[in-house]
Amino acid sequence: MIEFRDVVKTFPERYGVINWLRRRGRMPRRRAIDDLSFTVERGELFGLLGANGSGKSTILRMLVGLISPDSGKIVLGGIDVVAEPVRARSRIGLSTGDERSFYHRLTARQNLELYAGMCGIPHAVRRSRIADAVRAVDLAEDLDRRFDSFSSGMRQRLAIARALLADPDVLLLDEPTRAVDPLHAEQLRATIVDLVRKHGKTVVVTTNLLEEAWNLCDRIAVLRAGHAIAVGRGEELRERAAGRRHYAIAVDRIDDGLLARLRAVEGITAIDFTGEPGAGRLRVALDPRVRSLNELLAAMSANGVVVTEIGPQPISAADLFENLTSGTADAG
Amino acid sequence: MLDKLRTLFVRDVRISLTYRYSFVLSWIAIPISVVSLWFVSKLVPPSPHFGVNGMEATYFEFAVVNVAFLTLQTAALQSFDNSLRDAQMFGTLESLLATPNREELIVLGSALWALTLAVIQVCWYLAIGALFGLHLGHVNVAALLLFALFAILATAPIGILSASFVMAFKQGAPTSFFINGAATLVGGVLFPVAVLPHWLQVVSWWFPIAHALGGVRGAMHGASLAELAPDAGWLAGATLVLFPIALLALRSATRRARFDGTLGQY
Repeated sequence: MIEFRDVVKTFPERYGVINWLRRRGRMPRRRAIDDLSFTVERGELFGLLGANGSGKSTILRMLVGLISPDSGKIVLGGIDVVAEPVRARSRIGLSTGDERSFYHRLTARQNLELYAGMCGIPHAVRRSRIADAVRAVDLAEDLDRRFDSFSSGMRQRLAIARALLADPDVLLLDEPTRAVDPLHAEQLRATIVDLVRKHGKTVVVTTNLLEEAWNLCDRIAVLRAGHAIAVGRGEELRERAAGRRHYAIAVDRIDDGLLARLRAVEGITAIDFTGEPGAGRLRVALDPRVRSLNELLAAMSANGVVVTEIGPQPISAADLFENLTSGTADAG
Repeated sequence: MLDKLRTLFVRDVRISLTYRYSFVLSWIAIPISVVSLWFVSKLVPPSPHFGVNGMEATYFEFAVVNVAFLTLQTAALQSFDNSLRDAQMFGTLESLLATPNREELIVLGSALWALTLAVIQVCWYLAIGALFGLHLGHVNVAALLLFALFAILATAPIGILSASFVMAFKQGAPTSFFINGAATLVGGVLFPVAVLPHWLQVVSWWFPIAHALGGVRGAMHGASLAELAPDAGWLAGATLVLFPIALLALRSATRRARFDGTLGQY
């Protein structure tokens, strides 16, 4: 349904007419999207996960033709997005989540009427489309309120309603639950899943919330500096990202010399000590591809340490996110 | 396409009506302007320079028509880049350009209300002027409408070029400001072009507003389309040459903004 093939995007490092004239139109550019390739299947809920500035929003904007790539191919439902942007846009609903993208002095209904008109929705069905869209995001009661009286979360939900208006094949949702309260965030996620499972929509969601990506998306592309460092199902990526296993180990004695010797053991990627000098507790990160837990214990024993207690430590969401987005995890 | 233009028009009417005080004040300003010209005209004796084909006319008849129709030029020059700049500043431009429409439709459609408002304000000007002695009995309505349309069409490309500049560089081009200012000097708005030195009359010939006002004043005095053909021809030619250039510039500027990723920036 969607294909990004070897897409590169650079942006000028400086803007403005004076800079442009001074450099005769040739401004130095920085690379924002770096040789990016991925595909999204029809009816798939696809996540773009990455830290701020990793290129998630740029990808959505390129898909809708607001930003054109330097090179590479972007195809949506067989349509070349760069060559036929208007045709491509007729199949896309975009929710940027930018509060400024609405007219603050108009009501929610007037805003949606405008966008319905601009999407070419016939008058006969415009009213019912608007009603359906706001019902999906629980804003039916607020339709005749002015936009500037909406909270951030309501504005976010209205942006999603706007994306739904034209009943597009593809929905692009830029951080759809940002600023939304937990209850409505959960409702929104359920709505998004329904759109995919019941209505066969193809949805691309950007997020920097790891759990949201895991729980919501069929597949996820993990982005770092505009490059997809991993693409796969949530569970696969979790396995890969976990990479290093973490253990809490209570030991009978410990000293700086012993810590230094353990740090030198191949396969131990990090070791922290907590507690009093002498007996204490170690937090050990182990790369299971290099050394098993048995080998770790043997290494400790060989260094004269008696283990009194040992247990696995679950990797935190923050560690997983760091592992993934810093490139510690394997590319897939 | 017409429905989409109507949609943009309705949006701008609705927004305009939310600013009630400035909307009302803009209508009150017109009678004040007309009355001011009426008092000034008491100081200036009637002259053939103010009329058409050597017919004597008052300064009031001359100036009130010119100032009224200058509104059309101002709207045509400023409404395209103003509406685009507003959309950039308020953040609505990206969301509009994400709809399945060409950028030309959005930029042109966003100026429709301002242009329509200008036409209505011209009528208001003339109606108030009539209360103070502006004679409307001989008006060639068809010619007047034609020249009103030309006043917009021949000037709009300069406004669209300015909008292209806004699209590419996020700031208005000085062209609109310059042309609007220069028009009051060489466009024959406050005094006839005939009183200018010869070289300024040559400069004046290059300004669309000079031809538009010449045609409008002729139509007000009942001149036929055949009599006004030279001005109409000039304006038609300017429209045909400038409009495609302006639309190409707009498309090129939008392409550049898409490439630089600056469509949503201001």
